[in-house]
Amino acid sequence: MPLLERKDSVTIARGIISKSKATETEVVIDSAIDRFVRYAEHGPTQDADRGHALVRVRVRNKTPEGYREATASCGSLEPAAYKAALERAQELALVAPPNPRLAPLGGAVMVPMVLRDRATIDQTFEAKARWIKLATEACAKHGLFPAGLAQTTGISRAIVNSCGREVLSYQTRAAFSLTATGKNGEGWAEAIARTIGALPIEATVQRAIDKALAAQDPEPIEPGEYTVVLEPAAVASLLLFTGYEGFGAREYEEQTSFLCGRLGQQVFPPSVTIHDDYRHPAWASLPFDGEGTARTQVVLVENGVPKRVVTDRNHAAHSGGESTGHALLQPSSHGPMPQNLVLLPGKQSRAELVAGVERGLLVTQLHYVNLMDPRELLLTGITRNGTYRIENGKLGRAVRNLRFTDSLVRTLGTLSGISNEQVVCGALFDGECVVPALRLSLRFTSTTEF
Amino acid sequence: MIEIAKLAVAEALKHGAQYAEARLVRLVRQDLVLKNGALDGAESTEEFGCGVRVLVDGCWGFQAMPLWADHGPAEQNARALGRRAPVVAKALASACTKRVELAPEPPQQGSYSTPLVEDPFAVKLSEKLELLRGCDAALQGRAETVVREASLSARAEEKWFASSEGAEQHQKLVRVGAGLSSTAAANGTVERRSYPASFGGNYKAGGFEHVRAWKLAEAGPRVRDEAVELCSAPLCPPGRRDLLLMGSQLALQIHESVGHPSEIDRVFGHELDLAGSSFATADKLGNFRYGSAIVNLEADSTLPGGLDTRGWDDEGVASGKWRIVDQGVLKGYLTSREWAARIGEARSRGSARAEGWANFPIVRITNLSLLPGTWELDALIADTQDGVLCDTVKTWSIDQHRLNFQFTTEIGWEIKNGVKGRMLRRPTYQGRTPEFWASCDAICNASHFEVWGVPNCGKGNPMQVAEMSHGAAPARFRGMTFL
Repeated sequence: MPLLERKDSVTIARGIISKSKATETEVVIDSAIDRFVRYAEHGPTQDADRGHALVRVRVRNKTPEGYREATASCGSLEPAAYKAALERAQELALVAPPNPRLAPLGGAVMVPMVLRDRATIDQTFEAKARWIKLATEACAKHGLFPAGLAQTTGISRAIVNSCGREVLSYQTRAAFSLTATGKNGEGWAEAIARTIGALPIEATVQRAIDKALAAQDPEPIEPGEYTVVLEPAAVASLLLFTGYEGFGAREYEEQTSFLCGRLGQQVFPPSVTIHDDYRHPAWASLPFDGEGTARTQVVLVENGVPKRVVTDRNHAAHSGGESTGHALLQPSSHGPMPQNLVLLPGKQSRAELVAGVERGLLVTQLHYVNLMDPRELLLTGITRNGTYRIENGKLGRAVRNLRFTDSLVRTLGTLSGISNEQVVCGALFDGECVVPALRLSLRFTSTTEF
Repeated sequence: MIEIAKLAVAEALKHGAQYAEARLVRLVRQDLVLKNGALDGAESTEEFGCGVRVLVDGCWGFQAMPLWADHGPAEQNARALGRRAPVVAKALASACTKRVELAPEPPQQGSYSTPLVEDPFAVKLSEKLELLRGCDAALQGRAETVVREASLSARAEEKWFASSEGAEQHQKLVRVGAGLSSTAAANGTVERRSYPASFGGNYKAGGFEHVRAWKLAEAGPRVRDEAVELCSAPLCPPGRRDLLLMGSQLALQIHESVGHPSEIDRVFGHELDLAGSSFATADKLGNFRYGSAIVNLEADSTLPGGLDTRGWDDEGVASGKWRIVDQGVLKGYLTSREWAARIGEARSRGSARAEGWANFPIVRITNLSLLPGTWELDALIADTQDGVLCDTVKTWSIDQHRLNFQFTTEIGWEIKNGVKGRMLRRPTYQGRTPEFWASCDAICNASHFEVWGVPNCGKGNPMQVAEMSHGAAPARFRGMTFL
């Protein structure tokens, strides 16, 4: 099933809108092609070549007390199916209580379309098999157990509404990862890019193997507060929580955000600047949000001072400003969210960060990070895939994994170095961001035996 | 529909597959969320598609697409999937160094439907909204409350499975969920309370009768007031003391520290790329002391009300019941046809499942319960000298081997000299899985046993979501470390 072309999406959406009896109607049409292979010691273990389409219809009827709104969706482009979805949405909207907070749907906007990378979307399974052989054979040479993923994805999204909004764009993503496991320690590396051509497969394989070999036979270590150099993947696991739980207007309004009482204050060192930037060259993000509003680049933290939260149309209307273009698909109980976080790099190399540590740790990755207290961004999680001592500025032996429990607000306040890198990283939960490595202090509350 | 599945299978065999299975799945969902009195989400979703999985010379191939007529007649699409799935397997053959062998499984034919009293999709929307409005009204009345939320969810999953070995199965699974929560902000802190469980409430297989039985609105004032009181409650003090866990938190403990470690693909390293592995390695089967002698953990894909209660798994293997931990000793794993032989079992336990139609079946936790003991809850509290009674999941984290964990609950109460006393904020305990279960010295009896649903278990890479339940009665764990 190919990705939808603009004319197909818009024709379907307009057809649905023309049949709607609601005051306002919005149609979102997604199509996706996903091809992936997971692998382990004997090669591919799971794979899929799959296509998908989803039509989402949002209707709203205006009343003096506010809009009555509801949504229905169907995994089909068949007229009977989306007609039924429209009817279900209309039926739900009839009984929905009016919501006085809802702003009218947005009107016409000019949003440039991001093109798809056909070579990435069309990459063959034979090519993925070659990547996998490279990884499994390299691991075999070193007696390591491989596990990883090779994936290429293309999506299209069109948002059309009855107020004249009509936007469509494409998104392409390629990813390759390897976890290499020895008898007593693991290493990992991952590459994420807009196109397959930008994926450094051999370097990724080598990096995972180097990490694994250095991670064998880790020494016991005591919990406590350590100066750490967090590699970009570990930084991403922490930073993404500011997006999930802090920088959105809804969390701020509901008083659950760590920004409550901190906007405009010098909360972090002046070296910390965080943007939300959909135009960053590291990714091909959709140029519009879940309401079809053009995304904007937002300075969230400038020189250590939190500046603002991101909004959607409803929150912008409530606070008297313009939407920053950060709506999720509507309606959403989460509220607006930054989905393209960029922590700006510093000037030092990663090696220089390490060289500045007298006694501390280098952390490759943080696993299963979760939130304990949103107001302080109190987080817990565990190190993974290679944690190493740093002594007198030099990398030393691997140590056993440790659990940290610390406030991100506190720990960013101890920041003493930012690397000059910009790496796209994800985490166990949803989302990706562009981050450097950081040197700071982190509190570890328990240890493991591995 | 089963004929369409059989067409796909036949086509795959024609194109070189030695084994083929086809799964047609129709998903229907309805979700309603009322937040601060306004409808924050009102959604009705319908999907229909097919996934075809084949083995060609021991290498897997999988193809999936929607089966609506817009992509061509369903028969034509099913044939196309049957043709293309072997192409994927052949393309990957150069990287396969060992053949996948499936444990034998006698092909079964039949149908299964979730037993239910009241079809949740037949209940009028206006009645559902009225129920949510009643919840919202019950949560009102305190100035400190910043968020009131009530939600309802109904899901129907109808599937047709056919395999080249002759399996032909039809299932209709119905699940419901509902809950309410209140968030208060005061004294510079924010606290939430939920009922009957957090993150959307409880979920069960069955009909709207479950939603009515939860009597959500009746719990509203208590939930609201506890959230407010928590904002001025003292933080749970650090140190070692006894831990009494109520059912929904114990369900999470079962899920994270027994369910995931007993997934056989994790045990053999095939989830190392994201979720991790397992400390419960195969050499420990039958001899590893997982917990105290009163700890019995039973996997049961026939459990009444269980979210993973069904006739067959997604490889056509019949549901069943078996012990993962028996009298404290590791006795079993969650397996699929690909993995059963690795631990010397002749047949799969039937734990392979896929999310919807577009996913490859993987080993999943099925319903897994801590079997009840003999205690009354009041007697258990009275028997505890220095402890904390903890209830309702707030946050959780566990390591990649499923050993070191740290969990925080929404609320705790101090127990001193057998008396439940002051409320405690953010109780956080940490431990190591075998020591945790070894410290279990009392479990409440069957009258306290409840089935708790997990509707959103993530596993796989790319991640798939699956549902399962965990039955539990409150239990005591001696000498736990509070942070």
